[in-house]
Amino acid sequence: MLSKLLFRNQDKKQLVIAIVGAFMGITFLVTSIHYLIKVNEFGEGADILGPNTIIVQKKVSSSSTLRLTKTDFSEREIQTIKQEKFIADVQPVISNNFDVSFETADPMVPRFRSDVFIQTLDPEFLDVKSSKWHWEEGDEFVPIILPRDFLVMLNTFMSAQGIPQVSDELAMDIKFKFTLSNETGKEWVDARIIGFTNEVASILVPESFMTYGNDKYAKGKDQLITQVMISGKESEFGLVEELLTKRGLESKNSQMVVGRLKSMVGTLFLVVLGISIIAVFVSGLVLIQYMQLLMSRNAYEVRTLLRIGYHPKTIIRQFFVYFVKVFGIVSALALLIFFLFKYFLDKMFASGGLYIDTGLSYQSIGALIVAYGIFTYSSYSSAKKGIFKEY
Amino acid sequence: MKIVFDHIMPEPLASIAHSAESIWGNHIEFNPGEKILLNASSGKGKSTFTMTSFGLRRDYTGTVTYDGRDIKTFTPDEWALIRQEKISVVFQDLQLFPSLTVAENLEIKNELSKVYSERELREMLDLLGIGDKWDQKCGLLSMGQQQRLAIIRALSQPFELLIMDEPFSHLDEENSQKCLTLIHKRCDEQNAGFVLTTLGDSHNTHFDKELKL
Repeated sequence: MLSKLLFRNQDKKQLVIAIVGAFMGITFLVTSIHYLIKVNEFGEGADILGPNTIIVQKKVSSSSTLRLTKTDFSEREIQTIKQEKFIADVQPVISNNFDVSFETADPMVPRFRSDVFIQTLDPEFLDVKSSKWHWEEGDEFVPIILPRDFLVMLNTFMSAQGIPQVSDELAMDIKFKFTLSNETGKEWVDARIIGFTNEVASILVPESFMTYGNDKYAKGKDQLITQVMISGKESEFGLVEELLTKRGLESKNSQMVVGRLKSMVGTLFLVVLGISIIAVFVSGLVLIQYMQLLMSRNAYEVRTLLRIGYHPKTIIRQFFVYFVKVFGIVSALALLIFFLFKYFLDKMFASGGLYIDTGLSYQSIGALIVAYGIFTYSSYSSAKKGIFKEY
Repeated sequence: MKIVFDHIMPEPLASIAHSAESIWGNHIEFNPGEKILLNASSGKGKSTFTMTSFGLRRDYTGTVTYDGRDIKTFTPDEWALIRQEKISVVFQDLQLFPSLTVAENLEIKNELSKVYSERELREMLDLLGIGDKWDQKCGLLSMGQQQRLAIIRALSQPFELLIMDEPFSHLDEENSQKCLTLIHKRCDEQNAGFVLTTLGDSHNTHFDKELKL
């Protein structure tokens, strides 16, 4: 009876406009947050390197070959790059300054030996647990991160020997050893693979092992820093790329492509997110304004109900529940459309070669809950204010 | 429930001269179960009395108390309870819902305390000669019919005091008497009193006390 009295003769045009606005706003809000997160997560876990991280070196030109220009980084150059606003961190990639070879040391696999180039990275840049990425003198083995290309080469060798090829998991069980040497001495240290990388061409070792080798077997000359690791901030990869061009630096192409793609798509979704937030905010305001209009049109009815004994809370509840239900239905429909969008967008990304994680991002659902919570609170306080005005 | 008007002077009436026996500016007590006729000419504040004693106007000096408590201190919860169970009012402007039917106007009030069944409500309408209007929109009724509906609505709750602000102004003598019979019956059933404001007509009814404005 109360609903019939208070919600009769509504001007539905404004309500429909607000509902359509809220529906579109919420749909795009949830969709944009979901894909913003998924795009930023894209590539994470696929490599041992952390997200938004690239290894750069100076471009080698004819002048550098003739030693007219330097290809190494000075401390000052590193600090200058670090000071850029879009750079999260810069660290030198430290290389071995001693002779080192790498060989299999497992009776289950044939002997394979090669002189190698090893490097160490700041653990901050690595997506690996620090407890595993640790070595000190006397440890049973040194943990290493192997370039995947190296494993391919090893498998080619195994295949040529008539031995079955090894998977990533199996390779992690094979025993290897390093031979560290200089003109005066030689030492063997066991090694175990703990991960693989597509982005670095050398074998990665913990910094403590590199320091140990460089201290004990260095050839005397100062070690030059020819590569640095740069970690860019989210969605600002375009600026990182601009910096590389400006400073004559280069990186592995695949890293650049992924970074550029993430940056562009991320920015696009950020724009959509901004528009969605505005749309949700405006449509929420229109809905609340509609509620106020409805209360003002029913001022006589509200006043009379209060006079004949209705509690203000009962009348507040009528308006509040009505609009919370409307927003709830709109949110549910928006969520449904989001799942449809997601289904088609995921397929579209996959057909374009972008295998984005298809799991649901809880932040997008969280954003919907937050938007619903804000609307619920606003509509309650608005209804309360409107009813008590007639009290 | 005992209601006391202790030197009440509504702001809009402060500039008007009031007689020595007027409610305004004096100490007046309304005792439980008392049937009072409040007689006054136009503009003396009959509706102001109704609104003030029902807590709808606060623009006055002095104190109105219910059972010793200043009504300005009542919370919305308390007012809702008072209006549902202690005091009922027939407003001068009736305060009906024109877009609802007669039945709906009664149901919306009866829903609060469920005093009457539909059959009893229909009987009361029959008694006052508007039994055939059950499904008719209230806004289509004549003023006299609306006044009778407002009286039945006011009776559709438990109360200790019934305040009626010129409830028979559009009714003939016969219908006024029918209404008064029903009002007396309902008040006697509950040991309740009433305050009936009039423009000088005593409506040939029994009352315990006559007050003036």
